[in-house]
Amino acid sequence: MTEVDQASRIAEIIEACPADQRFALAALQDMQHAFNYIPEEGLSALAEHLGCSQAHLYSMATFYKALSLTPKGDHIIKICNGTACHLRGAMNLATELKRDLGIDPGETTDDGAFSVELVNCLGSCALAPVMVVDGTYHNKLRVEQIPGIIETYAAQGAEEVAAHD
Amino acid sequence: MSEMLTITIDGVQCTCEKGEYLYDVATRNGIWIPVLCRSDAFEDHRACCRICIVEVEIRGRSKVVTACVYPVEQECTVYTKSEKILEERAVIMALLAHRAPESERMAEMNKFMGGTGFDRLVTIDNEKCILCGLCVQACNSLGTGAISTVLRGTEKKVDTPYDKPSEFCVGCLSCANVCPTGAIEYTQTDKTRTIWNREFDLLFCEECGSLMGTPEAARHAVGAEGEVPTVCDTCRKKKLANEMMQTYRYV
Repeated sequence: MTEVDQASRIAEIIEACPADQRFALAALQDMQHAFNYIPEEGLSALAEHLGCSQAHLYSMATFYKALSLTPKGDHIIKICNGTACHLRGAMNLATELKRDLGIDPGETTDDGAFSVELVNCLGSCALAPVMVVDGTYHNKLRVEQIPGIIETYAAQGAEEVAAHD
Repeated sequence: MSEMLTITIDGVQCTCEKGEYLYDVATRNGIWIPVLCRSDAFEDHRACCRICIVEVEIRGRSKVVTACVYPVEQECTVYTKSEKILEERAVIMALLAHRAPESERMAEMNKFMGGTGFDRLVTIDNEKCILCGLCVQACNSLGTGAISTVLRGTEKKVDTPYDKPSEFCVGCLSCANVCPTGAIEYTQTDKTRTIWNREFDLLFCEECGSLMGTPEAARHAVGAEGEVPTVCDTCRKKKLANEMMQTYRYV
């Protein structure tokens, strides 16, 4: 997304939001959804629109785990570490991802392709261990399956880049 | 006028209005209740330090409440120094002092209240803050809103957005002055003041040369359209008195 695109998208989100403080979280979520993170310009523009301080919104953005202030990768991998998944070896999945991508949960790869997150429960305990990539559930995972999944998404990313060019 | 009540605090008969905060009634009658997160500057109190707990007995039943936000609604007997309260307060104090090991005031208060133990807990290095949020309240009430609490849980702290010098901070020191533990640091030289990583010039009175704060704070106080004062309050009053004397010479 270019800078102009981002600025116009921010303006759109803010315009759709009524100028009242109670809509702050909704607008922040929209931004998170649009950019996978909340850009600094977005935060200050929203503060101006809602008539509250930037510090107040920053406080909210750092409080909620669903909101991120640093850019996330193109593909977001969520490893469930709820009780069931934890018992069925969720941490082994995290270790395997560390081996494949070289990042710990909470980090993003240098090329901006993948972000790995550890989440508490995805509500699919019967399918443990669960990993969600871009909203797609991969269930009853075994460690051996992970490199294949990563490759699929990496290839998909490469295709998109090729289509753009 | 609203209904008047008579309550007993530590054996002293106190008269108060219905709905008045217990802390206010006690202090008015010379009864000391320790507080950290409470400041007279604000109407609403935070009740997050929990140091001001007291025991309230209504019709034979007693409960522990925070005096700074407990409105007196009916006749009651209050104990601020009962054994139970002293014990519980000492625990709260010890925990807070453990959180802010660098604060001299906290250490002093803890020593006074006899809070011991908790040595097994990990202390935070170089920490003076107890996260009461008074500084944030002060900054917001001024309309500057430069600081807020960021992150959560064990990483929670008071900071400016993105840890960068805030463009909204006016360097008024309200946050530092209101802080009960002296956690907000600033440095001041002859010409500049540095707080929250931002350096401010200082504004001096044109007449007597006394410090008037920062130009930003003076501008914030009068608004965008207002005229920034060039002399301090004392000099302004003197000037006005002189002018009046000139006008009404024989008064």
